[in-house]
Amino acid sequence: MRITLALLTSLFVLAACSKPARAPGAASPPRPGKYEMEIGKEVYQRYCVGCHGDSGAGDGFNSFNLDPRPRDLGDPAFQKTKSNADLADAIRRGGSGVGLTSLMPPWGHTLDDRHIAAVVLYIRSFRR
Amino acid sequence: MPLQRLFAFSSLAFLAVLAFSPVKNALRPYRSIQHEFARIGAIHAPSMRAAEVYRERPIAIQQIWIPELQDRVDRCTTCHLGVADPVMALAPQPYREHPATYHTPRDIQRVGCTTCHGGEGLATDEGDAHGTTADAASPMLPLDYVEAGCGRCHTANEVPDAPVLSQGRAIMEKNGCYACHAARGHEDFRSDAPPLNTIAMKTGGEWVRRWLSDPKAMDPNATMPNFKLASEDIDALSHYLFARQVPRELEQAITAAAAAPAGDSAHGKTLFAEARCISCHTVEGKGNGSAPELSKIASRASRAWLIAFLHDPHAFNPQTRMPQYNFSDADVRDIVAYFEDELKDFEAPQNILEPLRVKQRLAEHGEKLFKSAGCFACHGGVKEGERFGPDLYGIGDRKATSLDFGRRTDLPHTLPAWLAAKVTAPRSFASGLKMPTFPLDATQRRAVVTALLSSAAVPVPEAYRSAPVQQASIIPAGQIGSLISRYRCLSCHQIGSKGGDISTAPLTFEGSKVNHDWIASYLTVPYSIRPILPERMPILHIPAEDATKLADAISMLYVDPAIPDDPFAGRPASDADASEGQRLYTTLGCRACHIIGSAGGYYGPPLSDTHTRLKPGWIYRYLLNPQRWRADIRCPNYGLTDTDALRLTAYLETLSAPASPAAPAALAKAKEVAR
Repeated sequence: MRITLALLTSLFVLAACSKPARAPGAASPPRPGKYEMEIGKEVYQRYCVGCHGDSGAGDGFNSFNLDPRPRDLGDPAFQKTKSNADLADAIRRGGSGVGLTSLMPPWGHTLDDRHIAAVVLYIRSFRR
Repeated sequence: MPLQRLFAFSSLAFLAVLAFSPVKNALRPYRSIQHEFARIGAIHAPSMRAAEVYRERPIAIQQIWIPELQDRVDRCTTCHLGVADPVMALAPQPYREHPATYHTPRDIQRVGCTTCHGGEGLATDEGDAHGTTADAASPMLPLDYVEAGCGRCHTANEVPDAPVLSQGRAIMEKNGCYACHAARGHEDFRSDAPPLNTIAMKTGGEWVRRWLSDPKAMDPNATMPNFKLASEDIDALSHYLFARQVPRELEQAITAAAAAPAGDSAHGKTLFAEARCISCHTVEGKGNGSAPELSKIASRASRAWLIAFLHDPHAFNPQTRMPQYNFSDADVRDIVAYFEDELKDFEAPQNILEPLRVKQRLAEHGEKLFKSAGCFACHGGVKEGERFGPDLYGIGDRKATSLDFGRRTDLPHTLPAWLAAKVTAPRSFASGLKMPTFPLDATQRRAVVTALLSSAAVPVPEAYRSAPVQQASIIPAGQIGSLISRYRCLSCHQIGSKGGDISTAPLTFEGSKVNHDWIASYLTVPYSIRPILPERMPILHIPAEDATKLADAISMLYVDPAIPDDPFAGRPASDADASEGQRLYTTLGCRACHIIGSAGGYYGPPLSDTHTRLKPGWIYRYLLNPQRWRADIRCPNYGLTDTDALRLTAYLETLSAPASPAAPAALAKAKEVAR
């Protein structure tokens, strides 16, 4: 009996050594999705850059025709006070939808939620 | 007795071996991964009940089985349990939710995982599944090239939400990869490299020498790659090019042009600017860049050749995208005089355009080189179905073990690494390789590798393929067809699925969009509809007669039956409707992009001449869904009601061009911009 036990134990030990279990939760830490970021940039470059500019500073070529001028999206205070949901809402319903200027159009009928979420993510990268 | 002992011992040993199997199973890594998933899920679950569901999950292999997609079995979800679970949005891998894409989470059960990501679907062990072991049979696509997965089903050049893949496919098309390499869907590809039969009368030996040693250094817009030719090979090729017989009619035209009197450079400069050559060409980098840079053109081609070419570009190159400008003889001389005065390489040696005195022996060697180096693949002479380089069929599924890494012992033995090195330094693998080096930066190379990896050995089943809807391209034969060809409308405009994308305005439904008389006048004297764009409709000097014929054809052929002639359906809009429309124009913020009168943005076209230019049915239909006209149009869809769209249409219809036609003013402006 003792032999059996010893044998079985040693087998267990061997098996356990040959296939060490993966340390749970030790995988890569979360980071903003690269793919979403690229899609966000793509959407921004197509629809937003004309007024908001390459770096989000509100200096696109068309911004000079607008009064009020487009928001500086990199402003830390602005970035801090607005949640992702706030930004998505302003994009979806436009300026007039959130009590600001109607010069910012509503994109809710043009872009789907996924594209809006991606562009919000991209706008976050402007934070100075 | 010893026998009994032996029997007892062997029985125990047998039992132990039997016991090993469940033990091994109990220790498989996925089980601890699934336990950990349950733990993380229970912590982050939104409710007690949801947490309970995580805890009670049975530990088992998960799989997605798709018989209709190459009998795929993907067990990836055995470890990647959270792919469709929002609770796992921020969880560490392998638990994390899949990034939001068009197909996830909605199509995970229909598409599986390995269709896009590659890897070994049946495996439940990380190394085997991901194919990270050396020479794995089906390794996963590295994330950098992940869009290659999209290209397995999406075979069009432009794939939505796959910017890297789309860029790669566009680069391959533009750089003429398919001239040498056969690839599925590109069987009919023909390079648009010019024929080389007038070199002897066009340029000089020194220019050809410089060009052959580095085309990009001579013209930043050049798509010809660097063949890294040895000096004696450049000599031989130059002598061959200068030995080629110039076709008789072209020879006569160039000889006649040589005797043309001097032109007026100042007038030439104005004509050059008006003609909007930079809609395709560039001058010192300014312009579209799909045709040669012109700032040194007078040091690239002789005066006589330029004059003859500008008279009739299509005689020199029947495939050229350059339209026929109806310049007068004097106009052409003036433009070339301007080139000679200002657009030349002031640092070039005197002899840059001096013809080469052909040495027959060198020329014969050059002719052989022209064939053996593959020059003919782009510059004419390739036979139907014949390609110079190896084909690219299924290149994305080549096994790493089947690849020749040659001298490149530094590379990891993977297909992506091999392709990246092939694109970056094609001749570094062995001596005697012929593929030239293309001037691509790191981003472009990544895009090209992505495009290459998207080429599957076995195409996905029909039901999974997504090709863009082919729109009919009506190009009539006869007189209209030859006018469309003469003015090369398709070089810039799309008609159905054919044509270039230099212009933002497809002509597919142009007849439903703009008024007949406006087209006729616009073709005669075009003006800039959107002044911010560097690409504008060139002033081709189309005679009124041709313009009317084209306007007739456009109004008759290029119509969309879904666009009503009269959006008001017989009940004309009232003044109240129009003023309500004007109010809408303000409250919607249309002026952010459009100019009416003197105020507004530069983004969209000015609308002051709407009534003169656009048809009301088109405006109304456009306002309801701008993206219907062109999927990538930037004008947002405002989700307007039918009534509001009609009111806005009514308002815009009140806007007419001033009594004097806009054309002369625009022409004056074009001249001003030119200065």
